[in-house]
Amino acid sequence: MSMLNRRTFVKLSGAAALVGLSTTAFSRRGFAADKGRVVVIGGGYGGSIAAKYIRMADPGIEVTLIEQNPNYYSCPMSNWVVAGFRDLEVQKWGYEGLKKHGVKVVHEQATEIDPATKTVTTKGGTKFKYDKLVVGPGVSFKPMEGYDGEALDKMPHAWNAGPQTVLLNKQLQAMRDGDPFIMVAPTDPFRCPPGPYERAGLVAHYLMKNKPKSKVIILDPKDKFSKMGLFTAGWKKLYGYETENSKIEWIPGGQGGKVTKVDAKTMTVYTEMAEFKSSCINVIPPQKANAIAEAAKLTDESGWCPVNFDTFESKIHKDIHVIGDASMATGLPKSGYAANSEAKVAAAAIVALLNGQKPGEPSFVNTCYSMLSPTSAISVAAVYKIVEGKIKEVGGGLSAADASDAVRQQEASYNESWYQSIMADTFS
Amino acid sequence: MHRKKIRTLVLVGGFMAGGFLFGSTASAEGPTAAMLANTCAGCHGTNGVSGGPAMPSIAGFPATYFKAIMKEFKDGTRPSTIMGRLAKGYSDEEIALIADFFAKTKWSSANGHANSKNATVVDTALAAKGKKLATDSKCDKCHEDDGVFQDEDTPRVAGQWLDYLIIKMRDYRNPDMKVPQQKKMETAMEKLSLDDLLAVAHFYASNKK
Repeated sequence: MSMLNRRTFVKLSGAAALVGLSTTAFSRRGFAADKGRVVVIGGGYGGSIAAKYIRMADPGIEVTLIEQNPNYYSCPMSNWVVAGFRDLEVQKWGYEGLKKHGVKVVHEQATEIDPATKTVTTKGGTKFKYDKLVVGPGVSFKPMEGYDGEALDKMPHAWNAGPQTVLLNKQLQAMRDGDPFIMVAPTDPFRCPPGPYERAGLVAHYLMKNKPKSKVIILDPKDKFSKMGLFTAGWKKLYGYETENSKIEWIPGGQGGKVTKVDAKTMTVYTEMAEFKSSCINVIPPQKANAIAEAAKLTDESGWCPVNFDTFESKIHKDIHVIGDASMATGLPKSGYAANSEAKVAAAAIVALLNGQKPGEPSFVNTCYSMLSPTSAISVAAVYKIVEGKIKEVGGGLSAADASDAVRQQEASYNESWYQSIMADTFS
Repeated sequence: MHRKKIRTLVLVGGFMAGGFLFGSTASAEGPTAAMLANTCAGCHGTNGVSGGPAMPSIAGFPATYFKAIMKEFKDGTRPSTIMGRLAKGYSDEEIALIADFFAKTKWSSANGHANSKNATVVDTALAAKGKKLATDSKCDKCHEDDGVFQDEDTPRVAGQWLDYLIIKMRDYRNPDMKVPQQKKMETAMEKLSLDDLLAVAHFYASNKK
């Protein structure tokens, strides 16, 4: 049956592809944007997906992606690079795949959005008119005393993947055996809620082998964190957590974990009660929506961008859809998978609106793996819907607390494959 | 004979489904098939063609088969790491929409995928051993055409990701993860050692058809 069924399908899709191609050819010949022009700012987990899925659904829509960097470095899996068992090259992706979908890719920095004239301006002064704008710019850091200028290189955040990731790995390697790896964790909400704790475990794994006298100290303003039960159970098993020889020490806000300032010259971190010194300090500052969103007044007093959940259109400016970490998608975590899901909701809404239709009902998924060690992983996975105006989890949950080592190992291999699949979804 | 009849019926169904393929799938209530199915792509790839060697491609799966395994994930009879958790988030109607969506997407074998460089490489000697074992164990009675065939209770296995097939074969020997199978498959698989099962996985993954 499948043979015949597939053959039928191939014929039909072949015909559809021809129709699609001719539409594209028309827009390229100058009948541009017969359905409308979409500009996307930011080519990451959110923006690239929005650009691709709009083109896949309707090749009559012109899509321009403005991304300042020629390559993208994925944050998910970059903790492996920090801990030294993965090459940064594996995190690197390009934009050729999106061009094959007919997305026009412009490598410039978008610096200004004018909602009144519906124009985006780049640093180089190029102007792009839009009917619908998608903004997926990621995060910027909130001010933290002492953390500016060269402090960013001396105490790397490694919270945007790329040179910062390599820098932190180099400092970890150069660290004196016996010094603690100090991590300053951020306040909620922030990009990748389980990220700091995955990093702590992977660095602890590195220390066991390479710096036996060292341990990880997490200075945290919070009293709880994402997947906390699974992380701490894993740390107990692997790193002696809560014993005298623990490779990880977590100091929560309630026990003085809140950092008040840092000093990169003396490599010191100050809390309200104590000071910590080390030759390797990882400062992950508190976060807000990226500066371009703030400059365009897409943010509110929280620092994030309020949006309507059914379309991800800004509640402040019409025809601008904000997706990914910058949006305030209360109910969904600030994860790569959530950005992918939000981008598809925004893309479907934009295609409907530009075709004079009413946007349909959204459905979201988040699947997020975290490593406990290079061969052991845990996950959270859930389906979300809009219930009474709010994003609600309608099914899902965490990895079983009592899962076998074989299952944890299987989740580690699914983590790598998740990465390969979602990156193919994003960039091919 | 019986099978031929089924194929003809499905052919008619295929044409009918084709008519709706590019039309509006919007219904009065709830998310569309595309809205639901596109959320699967983060793991199973765009249109169900997986880019990750441990994640199965699900493109072109027969809708009846798809619905049956989602039901098993949902009620827990099919062990899983995360699919059981996710399946609980969908109504039977939504699962039917997702199943119809993927039934209409085009299968693409893993061995031609750009990411196949990241996958376990097929061992030709093992694949040859697996071919013989598959014939001797009568795997080909259901997984016809060297695993290309699929119907309401048989998934296509030819050209599936090898790493995924290996995980499933290992799961079969793990009481916590063993997927319940039909009697005839159970009987055939019980007679094979884990090494034999892995050879069969290499055989089906090697088929480029």
